[in-house]
Amino acid sequence: MKEKLSPFSKLFLIFIFLILYTPIFFLIFYSFNSGGTMYNFESFTLDWYRELFTDYRLLIIVLNTLVVALLSALIATIIGVLGALWIHSFRRRATRNMLMSFNNVLIVSPDVIIGASFLILFTVTGYKLGFYSVLLSHIAFSVPIVVLMVLPKLNEMSSSLVDAARDLGANSWDVLTKVILPYLTPGIMAGFFMALTFSLDDFAVTFFVTGNGFSTLSVEIYSLARRGVSLNINALSTLLFLFTIILVIVYYFIAQRSKSTVMGVRK
Amino acid sequence: MKKLIQFFVLIVAVSALLLWSIAKLNDSQGYSSGNTLTIYNWGDYIDPDLISLFTEETGISVIYETFDSNEAMMTKIQQGGTSYDIAVPSEYMIEKMIEEDLLLPIEHDKIPNLSNIDERFIDLPFDPENKYSVPYFWGTVGIVYNTAMLPGIEITSWNDLWDPTFKNEILLTDGAREVIGMGLNSLGYSLNDTNREHLLEAKSKLDLLTPNIKAIVGDEIKMLIANEEAAIGLVWSGDAADMMWENDNLDYVVPIEGSNLWFDNMVIPKTAKNIEAAHMFINFILDAEIAAINTEWVSYSTPNKEALAFMPEDMTEDERFYPPEELTEKLEVYENIGKWNLAYYNELFLEFKMHRK
Repeated sequence: MKEKLSPFSKLFLIFIFLILYTPIFFLIFYSFNSGGTMYNFESFTLDWYRELFTDYRLLIIVLNTLVVALLSALIATIIGVLGALWIHSFRRRATRNMLMSFNNVLIVSPDVIIGASFLILFTVTGYKLGFYSVLLSHIAFSVPIVVLMVLPKLNEMSSSLVDAARDLGANSWDVLTKVILPYLTPGIMAGFFMALTFSLDDFAVTFFVTGNGFSTLSVEIYSLARRGVSLNINALSTLLFLFTIILVIVYYFIAQRSKSTVMGVRK
Repeated sequence: MKKLIQFFVLIVAVSALLLWSIAKLNDSQGYSSGNTLTIYNWGDYIDPDLISLFTEETGISVIYETFDSNEAMMTKIQQGGTSYDIAVPSEYMIEKMIEEDLLLPIEHDKIPNLSNIDERFIDLPFDPENKYSVPYFWGTVGIVYNTAMLPGIEITSWNDLWDPTFKNEILLTDGAREVIGMGLNSLGYSLNDTNREHLLEAKSKLDLLTPNIKAIVGDEIKMLIANEEAAIGLVWSGDAADMMWENDNLDYVVPIEGSNLWFDNMVIPKTAKNIEAAHMFINFILDAEIAAINTEWVSYSTPNKEALAFMPEDMTEDERFYPPEELTEKLEVYENIGKWNLAYYNELFLEFKMHRK
């Protein structure tokens, strides 16, 4: 990573960032349009933001989305770390690889199929759709991601660290909490933030398992598509974009302070 | 470890705060009280003020959920899990839902306002005697065109589209029945025709249209035409109304050969819990004044004859969206043509799409 980038790579990087960010800035720009459409910028207005904060139904949906994202990421992180430790505890490489493959299958399998399976599972068992069904399925699809983020860190960790701790008289609990988990922290954080973003933007799985008045933002925005998305959705997206930017900055400072090499969070 | 625990405790605290505010908001909106009505409707398809008005009048709080396609809605209702009291599918889906026994019959004596509905929209083939459904909005399939980009040209019929001057100017909605239907209509056949020869004839006629077609697109057709990327579009009347609101140069026409008449109807799914409230809400929406308010907000055409009196004249006298009787007689509702015929339509449509380039 220390190598100098060639001018061409720099240009390419700038180009890629432009492609990624232009639509977002375009969307933010028009959230201030009094004209009511995504073209013909008429004049500056904050009306859409005002409308957003008086629409309680939408606000509830936004809060729902955030709660589900935070809680599911948290729980998935805990389960995922335990899962990674468990996979790592197998001595045979073949067993580990096999378990890892099972984990990866869940990451690459299409959302629609996962969503439909959850819907069938919940209805067959008579589980009521709503907050908990969404939370459970978000936890479920986030766990493999956390495992994927934590396991490389664990493999990278030198076993002499653990041996040294044992030699100095640490019991298993001490080894776990004082040696292994601190070492894994960057990976755990990366896993948490990945799970958070996965949960925030998931539409396909969430669509199947929402119900009984509980809905999340992605499902709501998608259903507006038939009649055209109103500009208060632009306003909302702007706020969410700022929110994620703040999250990333906070994460950056946490990572800086812990002064360890950190895998970047892909956005 | 300490840092991790601190961080996790922070997350839990934030979540608890959020959950608390959700509960507060829910309470202030009355969503959590006992007597509730759950409605499943298209996104942005009702004036939100009417929902609060209904709650004020009856004390029944409304849980409002939205969907984006008939198929998605059907899946959710079929699987259960949520007890929707009212859903608003389109006509072909209603037929399917009746077949699969997913709907409750509507008790007509509980909906006196049913008499407000224009007879033209009652007792249609997809639901004879309106046993299971009550009309909500309706519309047509037609041609939207830009009068500024095509000066001096007036389009009145499907066959006008084959004019070579429209080279590369036409956008089509990506729907097999709409496009094949256009071919059938232009030849004078019924939209529900299943005669293979007629269908092949329609397909070869559509092939001749290819030089004029710019693209076959989905929902973005609204934006493309409003932005004047193309001059002509095959669209649903509701979309046309949206486009015309955004761009003054656009005009909409229902072709003289006839076209499709579509409906979105209110139904009560079998899983409904609050059937009493569902009937009350349907009756409420059919009230002439309420329907007028809703129509002005949604801007689709209302089947409510009495509501027209409460609406601005420039809206109700607009023959593009409230076509005269001579024309509505030529409009046809899509009938369920059966799985095999539908597959044949799709196959022809696919061949037509491949023929393009």
